[in-house]
Amino acid sequence: MKVIYTDVLIIGGGLAGLRVATGVKERGHDAVVLTLVPPKRSHSAAAQGGMQASLANSKMGEGDNEDVHFSDTIKGSDWGADQVVARMFTHCAPKAIRELAHWGVPWTRVKRGDREAVINAKKVTITEKDEAHGLITARDFGGTKKWRTCYTSDGTGHSMLYAMDNKAHEDKVEIHERLEALSLIHEDGRCYGAIARNLMSGELVAYVSKATTVATGGYGRIYSVSTNAIICQGMGQALALESGVATLGNMEAIQFHPTAIVPVGILTTEGCRGDGGLLLDKDGYRFMPDYEPDKKELASRDVVSRRMTEHIRKGKGVKSRYGDHLWLDITILGREHIEKNLREVKEICENFLGIDPAVDWIPVRPTQHYSMGGIRTKYTGESQTLKGLYSCGEAACWDLHGFNRLGGNSVSETVVSGMLVAEYISDFLESSDSDMSIHSKKVEFFLNKEQKKLDNLLNKENGEDAYVLRRRMEEIMMEKVGIFRNGKDLKEAVDELEELLKRSANIEVFRSKSRAANPALVNAYRTQKMLKIALTCALGAYLREESRGAHSREDFPSRDDENWLKRTITSWPDENQTLPHVSYEAVDISSMEMPPGFRGYGKDLTRHHPITKVMQDKVDKIRQTMEAEGKNRFEIQDALMPYKDKLPKKYQGTNARFGENV
Amino acid sequence: MNDKKPRILKISILRFDPHDPDDFPHMETFEIEESDGMTLFIALNEIREHHDNSLKFDFVCRAGICGSCSMLVNGKPTLACRTLTAKLGENISLAPLPLFELIGDLSIYTGKWMRYLNEHLETWIHDKEEELKFDNLEEKMEPELADEIYELDRCVECGCCVAGCGTIQMKPSFVGAVGLNKIARYHLDPRDKRTDEEYYELIGNEDGVFGCMTLLGCEDVCPKDLPLQSKIAYLRRMMIKASMN
Amino acid sequence: MRQKIDKIPARLDLTQSVTGLILGLFIMGHLIFEASILVSNEMMYKVTVMFEGYYFLGQTHPAIVSLLAGFISIVFIAHAGIAMRKFPANYKQFKTMQKHISIFNHDDTSLWMVQAFTGFIMFFIGSVHLYMMIAQPEHIGPFASSNRVVHEFMGPLYVLLLLSVVSHAFIGLYRLALKWGFMEGKDYRASRKRFKILMKAFIAIYLILGSLSLAKYTYIGMTHDFSTCAKYKSKTINLEQH
Ligand SMILES: Cc1cc2nc3c(=O)[nH]c(=O)nc-3n(C[C@H](O)[C@H](O)[C@H](O)COP(=O)(O)OP(=O)(O)OC[C@H]3O[C@@H](n4cnc5c(N)ncnc54)[C@H](O)[C@@H]3O)c2cc1C
Ligand code: HEM
Ligand code: HEM
Ligand code: SF4
Ligand code: F3S
Ligand code: FES
Repeated sequence: MKVIYTDVLIIGGGLAGLRVATGVKERGHDAVVLTLVPPKRSHSAAAQGGMQASLANSKMGEGDNEDVHFSDTIKGSDWGADQVVARMFTHCAPKAIRELAHWGVPWTRVKRGDREAVINAKKVTITEKDEAHGLITARDFGGTKKWRTCYTSDGTGHSMLYAMDNKAHEDKVEIHERLEALSLIHEDGRCYGAIARNLMSGELVAYVSKATTVATGGYGRIYSVSTNAIICQGMGQALALESGVATLGNMEAIQFHPTAIVPVGILTTEGCRGDGGLLLDKDGYRFMPDYEPDKKELASRDVVSRRMTEHIRKGKGVKSRYGDHLWLDITILGREHIEKNLREVKEICENFLGIDPAVDWIPVRPTQHYSMGGIRTKYTGESQTLKGLYSCGEAACWDLHGFNRLGGNSVSETVVSGMLVAEYISDFLESSDSDMSIHSKKVEFFLNKEQKKLDNLLNKENGEDAYVLRRRMEEIMMEKVGIFRNGKDLKEAVDELEELLKRSANIEVFRSKSRAANPALVNAYRTQKMLKIALTCALGAYLREESRGAHSREDFPSRDDENWLKRTITSWPDENQTLPHVSYEAVDISSMEMPPGFRGYGKDLTRHHPITKVMQDKVDKIRQTMEAEGKNRFEIQDALMPYKDKLPKKYQGTNARFGENV
Repeated sequence: MNDKKPRILKISILRFDPHDPDDFPHMETFEIEESDGMTLFIALNEIREHHDNSLKFDFVCRAGICGSCSMLVNGKPTLACRTLTAKLGENISLAPLPLFELIGDLSIYTGKWMRYLNEHLETWIHDKEEELKFDNLEEKMEPELADEIYELDRCVECGCCVAGCGTIQMKPSFVGAVGLNKIARYHLDPRDKRTDEEYYELIGNEDGVFGCMTLLGCEDVCPKDLPLQSKIAYLRRMMIKASMN
Repeated sequence: MRQKIDKIPARLDLTQSVTGLILGLFIMGHLIFEASILVSNEMMYKVTVMFEGYYFLGQTHPAIVSLLAGFISIVFIAHAGIAMRKFPANYKQFKTMQKHISIFNHDDTSLWMVQAFTGFIMFFIGSVHLYMMIAQPEHIGPFASSNRVVHEFMGPLYVLLLLSVVSHAFIGLYRLALKWGFMEGKDYRASRKRFKILMKAFIAIYLILGSLSLAKYTYIGMTHDFSTCAKYKSKTINLEQH
């Protein structure tokens, strides 16, 4: 039995995982990162558009600050988010971006003087201040009041991830590539690492650690068409789920991005619309202003996706053999702008569609894009139920996004949560809580269990074809757990998925029997796990009888704060059960700084909770009196919902901001 | 789109499983029907799903972003995921990139190579100043300079330039265009406080910039169109300058 | 304090290029002067005596040509010596490169192989030629040279040398420009294309020029009666030695 000991095991080498690694390393702890692919190939590299941080450097960002960012985020989440977490996040985002700048990310900068921009299909001139010249600039993104999304051309995630990985090199973080975590080692509600499989040699390795972090990203690939990388299969969530102890939160909260190209589902960044691109229907008509006269193309993602679907349903879509789609028109931005700021988009159009976006319209439609749900954690990133297990990034649900994530808040979340969780883990390691007492027999037990599962798959005869099950699952998710959902479809989805799960116990790895690198074997065990993840999603969606954020029920079109302002918690306590166990966790209105309100899209159908009004009045009153007393925004905020004490000391400082306190 | 009968593609793949003691490198040809907008990503997955599930290859983003899927397509190193089959003939040959450790079939261990390279060239910002004050405003940078740095930062470590460089085939200790480009990137970056002499230590030798024979395979295959030729020339001048002091 | 950097690699690289450049420019002139035979025997003769210092010193000193040849030889040896580092070090490397080229099928890489190969050839023929020029500088002239080409059997070697040196030199100069970023301009890719066209044009022009000259030397060699004297008698310049 090969055993590797370390202080912190980090599963996942994307932005979140690497940031945790460098963080704990700088506090003097050992860290090993496991990853399916070289860290620089992680899905984080695909983020094109940008990272939100309220720097307020650019003209259109003037007046921005943590408060505005916070309010955008909460509104975006349809009040599903944890407001303390959102506060911690918005407070740390500027620090994270400055840290990244220091580590080498070549953020696009403010350039003094006049510049042309396209806003609302009109050319306007924006004049940047002299003093802001050379500071980090920002672009417009959906669902934000100010231009807050910082970027490096359209390779934001790429340059962030590269800077992060290089930093990890500098810090001599140990990275074990092509090692896939298969299960967690745990005993008595305490996590002690994971069993991993070397994808090249097939060898099983036990990683024993004091703290374990899951930063494995999202689970978009349970859908047949997704913008996600093909390794975004929810293996991290499955890991936690299969422990039987850890829980998942809001797994039904799935975001669809409005503009992925047809048919392959590759994303064209929100920056396209942020920079002034338009959505057109089959007649070349710009339809978004009809639905959302205020924010138009730049309404929140879930809203735009739904409007597009609605419009297509009205027969306004462009017919194609791959189904109906709409057009994204960025020709008005001009070739120069496209070649400089949207080059990745241009490459994608050229390579995958064979068109030139400076001349042609891009065929797009809403496509699965982001998983708000994930491993449910406290604000420290620690699982609520399995001690020593941490999670952050897209894999987690510490609950920054609630039921809809704002564009640009995700890469931002990865680094912010990474830097915070690294501190909390380090604190944990430095306390006696982290002492370990696990018998090597137990470790061996977990390892043998995985070995047996693999043997089963390889030895099975006359079993099921994993591909068949998986393709069917993907279709079900796409058709029945999609943008618009309804009870009937969801019920069918749950039933059929359950059936598939049962069948998956019988998967056979045909022909390819190698124990070393063997894609068929990998597909087999991942399919089993993915089915469980799909079930948590479908079942959660079926049970949630309201519409909130990205979760949109045709049979329950209104948001229902009275009955449903709560998080869905799923777990899998017994290996043999065929459906997840579901419970709920209330989102407490009385502790909110920003009580539930109207998100501002369409008609307000919200069924408000009675306490909301009381709380709103209370908040308004405190604000009024304190403002009258001349208190500043920090003091008012602190009176409404203190959170600073929860932050690690080093991150408590006030952010310098151009135009506010500089 | 039209009723023309789809082509039957004959895809020949250089196969070898180093973990199987009985295996040896051999070509295997698969025939599949071409579909509209088919990329090698789609084609290879189809082969894996319907013809041979043991076929090994690496795709991650399948969007030409991550650099995982580099392979020799008709002898030319390129990203497979963004190669439309329509742009190729009916007979397509695929082989793993040379030089990198073979995992099996088309799957190669570029990660290890690149990791070593990065560690060797210390491709991170070297700043001896004390700790960063992240509460303060970020340091300013000229917008044009930031763009220029990003331009070089776009490398996806796909290894195409390595596979396309004759020099490195002969002398594997050469850092290749990917390594030189990285140094050019940090050399350009004012945040990196390394001196020219320090850079010279890294690449002022036959494994570095003076090993490059200007074969320009790198320049011609780089899927990200990085200005490799121009940047290697720039470094060469810089390093000569450093040697003059 | 950190140790001093090792400047040798930089110097070698620079020297390789500088010597290559000198040789390249030299050969461009050389072949043009050689082609004076195409104009007339008289012209070629004038060029010859010019190099022997006639127009500057009023006298001819073939030793000047020796000296020049000596200098070029040194540059030649230096260049060859340094450039040889780049040769495949053993058969395995050679094989690897060859395989790479055959699979990859890339212009500039193949051109390098041409360069290495022609360099290798010149190593021998070039040396012989240079040695002759040092040893017998006085045996240059419309008739003397023709005699060497035909009756001393240098013709075939010159054909080989011509092919080698012309391709090697212009590929070399092309590479030189790209290697140092010479005249890159705003769009270095466009300028590379231009340089490549230029390279091809020069190779063609010089090959034609050289072949014609050689043909003329051969013609003279075949038709001239060397039994009387191999020396050329100029109508305008009357010198004892010739
Ligand atoms: C096309 C696209 C564009 C986007 N653009 C933006 C944007 O502009 N702005 C924004 O804010 N967000 C954007 N996002 C979202 C954002 O990119 C992701 O949410 C974020 O990068 C996730 O980072 P992560 O570190 O959590 O996970 P990832 O980067 O996905 O990393 C996951 C890591 O886990 C490893 N891993 C997974 N499973 C295992 C296992 N079982 N064992 C070991 N290792 C494992 C993987 O190898 C990988 O290293 C975009 C997403 C997509 C799909
Ligand atoms: C200073 C040194 C040199 C002198 C004086 C010199 C002189 C000459 C002369 C006089 C000829 C005419 C043929 C003959 O007389 O044999 C000739 C031909 C030639 N030389 Fe040189 N040479 C020199 C160096 C070189 C070098 C370095 C090269 C290339 C490596 C070279 C390549 C050739 C070739 C290819 C020809 C054939 C010419 C043709 O095709 O017209 N020479 N040289
Ligand atoms: C024995 C004779 C010669 C040998 C072995 C030789 C070999 C080489 C080789 C191998 C290179 C490539 C170097 C590299 O890739 O970095 C080279 C470059 C070059 N050679 Fe030669 N060569 C010889 C003679 C000549 C002659 C006679 C000329 C000119 C007429 C010449 C001009 C050049 C030029 C201009 C370059 C480019 C320089 C550079 O890349 O730095 N060479 N030579
Ligand atoms: S320089 Fe270009 S070819 Fe080389 S690794 Fe980077 S992206 Fe790939
Ligand atoms: S192909 Fe190789 S030799 Fe130099 S120019 Fe590119 S690195
Ligand atoms: S799979 Fe990412 S570049 Fe091809």
